[in-house]
Amino acid sequence: MNFHVTGLNHTTAPVEVRERLAFAPERLADAVAGLRNAEGLLETMVLSTCNRVEITATADDACDARDRIETFLSVYHNVERDWLRPYLYHFTGTDAIRHLFRVAASLDSMVVGEPQILGQLKSAYETARTAGTLSSTLESILTSAFRVAKRVRTETEIGQSAVSVSYAAVELARQIFGSLDHRKVLLIGAGKMSELAARHLARAGASDITVTNRSPAKASSMAEIFNARTVPYESFHTALNNSDVVITSSGAPHFVLTCESMRPVVHARKGRPMFLIDIAVPRNIEPSVNSLDGIFLYDIDDMQKVVESNMLVRQAEAEEAERIISEEVARMMQRLQQRGAAPLIVSLQQQLEATRLAEMERMRARLAPLTPEQRELIDVLTRGILNKIAHGPISELRRLAASPDGADGLEALRRAFRLDGNDTK
Amino acid sequence: MQEMSVFWLRAAVVVYSLGLLHAILTILRREERFFPPAFTAFLVGATLHGVSITERWIHKGRLPVDNFFESIGLCAFLLATSFLFLHWRYEFRSMGVFLFPLVFLMTMLGGMEAPVNVWSSTQVRGAVLLAHVSLVMLGYAALLVTALASVFYLIEERRLKQKITSKLFLRLPPLSTLDGIITRAMGAGFSLITIATILGIAWAQREGQRDWITQPRILISLATWALCLLMVFLRTSVGWRGRKAAVMALMILGCSALTWAAKVFLKPS
Repeated sequence: MNFHVTGLNHTTAPVEVRERLAFAPERLADAVAGLRNAEGLLETMVLSTCNRVEITATADDACDARDRIETFLSVYHNVERDWLRPYLYHFTGTDAIRHLFRVAASLDSMVVGEPQILGQLKSAYETARTAGTLSSTLESILTSAFRVAKRVRTETEIGQSAVSVSYAAVELARQIFGSLDHRKVLLIGAGKMSELAARHLARAGASDITVTNRSPAKASSMAEIFNARTVPYESFHTALNNSDVVITSSGAPHFVLTCESMRPVVHARKGRPMFLIDIAVPRNIEPSVNSLDGIFLYDIDDMQKVVESNMLVRQAEAEEAERIISEEVARMMQRLQQRGAAPLIVSLQQQLEATRLAEMERMRARLAPLTPEQRELIDVLTRGILNKIAHGPISELRRLAASPDGADGLEALRRAFRLDGNDTK
Repeated sequence: MQEMSVFWLRAAVVVYSLGLLHAILTILRREERFFPPAFTAFLVGATLHGVSITERWIHKGRLPVDNFFESIGLCAFLLATSFLFLHWRYEFRSMGVFLFPLVFLMTMLGGMEAPVNVWSSTQVRGAVLLAHVSLVMLGYAALLVTALASVFYLIEERRLKQKITSKLFLRLPPLSTLDGIITRAMGAGFSLITIATILGIAWAQREGQRDWITQPRILISLATWALCLLMVFLRTSVGWRGRKAAVMALMILGCSALTWAAKVFLKPS
């Protein structure tokens, strides 16, 4: 039996291809069950997200799994195989396990370290399990993948820093205010970026949002999104004293907040810190405002630098994550190989037990009549002797199964004990 | 006649102590609901204080400013009446956090002219000394926490101002958390040092010679306490936070170290 992953992602296929090959969530269970019916495929799972479509399967050694999966994708999505093939990658055995672990740990994601992929993978796993297309091997590999992803998140800081401007705003606000619960946010201008940043801040607990814009209609429509208040653009300065976070994205060609206009605000706030995020181009806030006590001003370039720095941190952490994955892949392979020795071990145990029972039967006539306690005692005694004798060969079987050049040793043991266990690969 | 003057002065100290209590509660709990009773007590205290000074004035036939104790007592009275006037005219209640403790301590010093050389028992003497030393140590520990949090505040503020993204600094707590630590530790430090100073003065008066008040270690202790009071006032009332407050906290830690050194090395002559 072998393990396969075939699919495409954001690095191998453009969005037009990815959307063509995506599986609708409501049809995923049928698709995964249909795939399982392909000849030679033993277990199947389909992962379909906006950035990747992947089919994970175990198959008979004799089965050309790649061919089966490509045929399935081509038929299911009604596309030519020749059109499809250049976008697909295919991994087998160790490489497939490594790939699955990397996907689960978000090392293969467009934004390295993003947390959604693990949830999507778990959802795909649940769908496959419900559809009955998983068995012990794939189940074991997938649960290991979840464990590895958790280990990577715990032992590295791969997912701890913001890699989008809007989320970086939340992260910086947290470094200033700690909890953002009940913090007051003022949006000057109703741009898309400020909406996104405000959305993140609101999710983080900043419940009191005020919007101002040159166009009152735009201000009102954004205020509706956040259940916020609006203030007239001409008098927004009055709202500054009570605002902890100010996001400016107005199209004004001049500074709307200057050092002069912010000095009374600083005084009125009695030194309470204030976080100003200027994501407008041209900028809305005079840069020297940052020099005022308690004011922290970040413009779009500053935010971008924070994001880039965080990206570098994630890349550095990704190296550590790769090391963890290599370690876990080796462990997984060892486990899978040891599982291959199971039929031989069972066969050996059965043979020894049969011998023990036969010998017990043969000796029964020669022994004086035994009480049930005595029979029980002899049973325990003979089983104990057999277990002790079998321990060595069973350990050796496991070791040889996990070793890459253990085939000869296994064969020797098979012959020595006249075992009929099947495939050990 | 002079005894009555001292009696009124000590009565004033007792009543002024309610103002000190208000200041400590305001610093520790950030609420001013105890101001009305404290202000009433302060008014009564100032009246008793005025009676004491008037009696002494009549007794001596001139303004009682002959020595340090009389001068500081009069100075405290002038501060008290100035505050009462300012509050009546401008509702200046935030100044109470600064003036109530200051007037209390100055009046207390003013009432210590008459030497007292006896302790009611050796146990009381030992207990007062132990309480003084323990409170001073706890107060210094709180000030040390204030100073450390202030250093971290300055580092974190600098990082955020200069947009430094080094991972090392990300381990520091948020600015607001550090600010909260500074406020609480400073409030606790001030309260402990205030009580320790009161006990210390009482102890020094009984233990020291006639010129106990002019000893450098006593004067340095009082100066440190005054600086501490100024810091808590600037923080709670004027709203000093951030860099200014952090620098001030570090200065006070320096003064506390100086006070400790003075206590260790400057033995009473």
